[in-house]
Amino acid sequence: MGNELNRRSFLNVAVSAAGLVAMGPLLSACGSGPAQRAGVGSEAALKAVLPAYVPNTAIKPDIASIAGGPDVMTNPGFLSYPANRVATVSGIPGKGGTYSAVTPLWGTIPPADNAFYTAMNKALGVQLQMKPADGNNYNTIIPTMTASKRLPDWIQLPTWWNSQMNVGGLVGNQLADLTPYLSGDNIKKYSNLAAIPTAAWRAGAWGEKLYGIPSFATGFQIAGTLYYRRDILEAKGITADQVKSADDLMNLGKELTDAKNGVWAFDDVYRYLYTSFGAPLKWRVDNGKLVHLYETEEFYAALDWNNRLATAGYVHPDALAGDNANGNTRFFGGKTLISSGGTGTWNLADHQSGQAANPNYRRGALNIIAADGKSALRVDMGPGANIMSYLNINLKPEQIEECLAIANYLAAPYGSAEFTMVNFGVEGTHFTVVDGVPTATEAGKKEVQAQTFPFLAAPAAATNSPGVPAVTKDYLAWQAANVKALAKPVFWSMNISMPQAQATADAGQQVEDAMKDCIHGKKSVAEVREAVASWKTSGGGDKLIQWTNDNVLQKHGTGQ
Amino acid sequence: MTTATPTRPDRGTRPARQNWRVRLRRDRSLILMTLPAVVLLLVFNYVPLFGLVTAFQEYDPLAGIWYSTWAGLDQFQRLFGDALFWNAVRNTLYLSFVQLILFFPVPIALALLLNSVLSQRVRNFIQSVVYLPHFFSWVLAITIFQQMLGGAGALNHFLRNNDIGTWDVMTNPDTFALLVSAQVIWKEAGWGIIVFLAALAAINTDLYEAAAADGAGRWRRLWHITLPGLRGVIVLMLVLRLGNALTVGFEQFLIQRDAVGYDTADVLDTFSFYYGIATGDYSYGAAAGLFKSVISLLLIWGANKLAHAFGEDGLYRR
Repeated sequence: MGNELNRRSFLNVAVSAAGLVAMGPLLSACGSGPAQRAGVGSEAALKAVLPAYVPNTAIKPDIASIAGGPDVMTNPGFLSYPANRVATVSGIPGKGGTYSAVTPLWGTIPPADNAFYTAMNKALGVQLQMKPADGNNYNTIIPTMTASKRLPDWIQLPTWWNSQMNVGGLVGNQLADLTPYLSGDNIKKYSNLAAIPTAAWRAGAWGEKLYGIPSFATGFQIAGTLYYRRDILEAKGITADQVKSADDLMNLGKELTDAKNGVWAFDDVYRYLYTSFGAPLKWRVDNGKLVHLYETEEFYAALDWNNRLATAGYVHPDALAGDNANGNTRFFGGKTLISSGGTGTWNLADHQSGQAANPNYRRGALNIIAADGKSALRVDMGPGANIMSYLNINLKPEQIEECLAIANYLAAPYGSAEFTMVNFGVEGTHFTVVDGVPTATEAGKKEVQAQTFPFLAAPAAATNSPGVPAVTKDYLAWQAANVKALAKPVFWSMNISMPQAQATADAGQQVEDAMKDCIHGKKSVAEVREAVASWKTSGGGDKLIQWTNDNVLQKHGTGQ
Repeated sequence: MTTATPTRPDRGTRPARQNWRVRLRRDRSLILMTLPAVVLLLVFNYVPLFGLVTAFQEYDPLAGIWYSTWAGLDQFQRLFGDALFWNAVRNTLYLSFVQLILFFPVPIALALLLNSVLSQRVRNFIQSVVYLPHFFSWVLAITIFQQMLGGAGALNHFLRNNDIGTWDVMTNPDTFALLVSAQVIWKEAGWGIIVFLAALAAINTDLYEAAAADGAGRWRRLWHITLPGLRGVIVLMLVLRLGNALTVGFEQFLIQRDAVGYDTADVLDTFSFYYGIATGDYSYGAAAGLFKSVISLLLIWGANKLAHAFGEDGLYRR
């Protein structure tokens, strides 16, 4: 199990971090001068260049994907590690080139020039110099590189930092245009890349051109959801199906809170609940008019409900004191029974951590609800991928082709020979197979970090929890029950670069601050309305709405 | 201390017109020894000052300082019209004032108390205990406060189980200034006594003996010997404190901002962070920072003047 923790926890941290923040900046902003901006492309022109999608059928998942709306489907699932490790790449992809690569890493940086890197370079046929950088400071490391125009040959720029890293200004200036190599049928040369769904490529497209190579593409991308302690609630006779409205949730608050024994029903839940009140993720079009979240009554209704939840005493005091870092600890310890988080939170490592605190631990997710209990169920979906790598513009065409061949190797599907190499290393050295589960050796734990190579390219997400199939089953059952609710928000997966003044207004710091105080019971909804009023006038809100209407909605439509 | 005609140190004894070459040769090793420090100071303290120019630009990190658009005083105009900024200024000054009243005397009192303990072992023990919190990070310090005084902490757990109601300490905006002062005292008071202990050690013990022989009691000795002996240091620390009046701390407020709300906890430094750096509005943050620096410079200059007026050394001897 230790190895699983080591290698899977990369994904947990990375993806839950992604889930947490990814949905906020759906609109990517950038601070570059007007001449440098890639801007939004026209929908028709973008559609013409998006790569063809050729699903890979070599390895059958145990649980097949279920399709929802357009670009929506549940993840495929694996209940055990495929025994027959199919090879999907013939020969050695590289031609002996030397490349540097920088990726974020949330965890311990493996030693440089280790045996795993050497083995990977041999398998890839290149000298790929991996330089993982601290994930927690990644957003401040990258801007110094871009300012001095010293990007490595290959770099990972997670989409939730698009605005902060000014990706909109970098594409075409410092990052290479991959359109000639990947558009349409050109991608068929790289069969594993062609098996990445189109929606994920769209998330790396800027101004009608392809730039980013997506990792962990998924058709079930939502900001997050409400989780509950399934073991504890089911023991009290409460199941997820019984929760159908905001009133049901409020009643649970009363029923479950037992402050004397240090148990509160809720942790912070606003961020993953407000759209249940009918509020848009950020934008909505009402009768042709562009409306910002802050202008909707549903937003205030969500705030009011959360404010009442807090003042009624159903939210853990530490959460009200702004301590989010220990949210999981509270949940594992049974101090809170209903929490919220990104979908990446729910996996094998979570199961292991939870069971360490309580052997009965079982995470469950509540279904998507409509606050009034009767409106149509709906949750706004995010872009097709959050982890996006880019190539340096200074690479020559043949070098770009070599890198793409390597990306193709890295994107080999779950359970293939290449996937096993990339994620587990060399059998005997880095892992051994125990009861059908690849299990890391000491060397594997130290050297094989799944945040290195898979951050350059990786196959579409496949849910798995080797050794504990119940986690995969629970997770995919929840996805299947809710897949119909996923819908594209306005400006879905459109990479929008906006001038600094608009980007600042888009961040809406003063409203976000007032909002936080409101859901923690310290400010009234009326005070948030005041903050919004001042945001609209002096905070540039009205100008933001006008700008977005003129430059995005009128020119490019809603992208839905 | 000072006399009516202060004697200037050494100047008269120096050879009147020493060649700079001779002086260079004489002080060569001293200059060499200070060189690394001077270089560090230049590279990390003076060169970055040029970055202040971003406060007058629409700074774009990608375009760089040379190519960003010039904005003149636009950022300052925005700043001075921003209610949130003035709120942060108000909070900074208020918290600074409260800390000056509540925190500043604590290390002095603590040093005097410690000085009166005769047993070296007990002294060392107490000193170690009160120093320790200084080495904790703010995250840890505030976590400890939260565990003790928070809504789910030890105190409220006790109150709740005895049906006495709860006492909201950590999230009450009205008492926030007292809370942060308490935190600062807990964390830094021990560390703050070092300089005062050193000053106490420098007081001639003969004076105490003479005073005791003349029949001066404990309080008279404190008043007439100890405090005058400490005066120079106290004034120096006060001058420095006033100069730093606009720097009340950053992490402490960053961490507790969500607990009490931004309108209570935002100080100038967190304002620059949230409304400048966090939203990519660097020039705006730089303008707020520059404003803070200018006011701080005026404060420290004024405080130093005041110290000189009272006949103290202040930051340097006049």
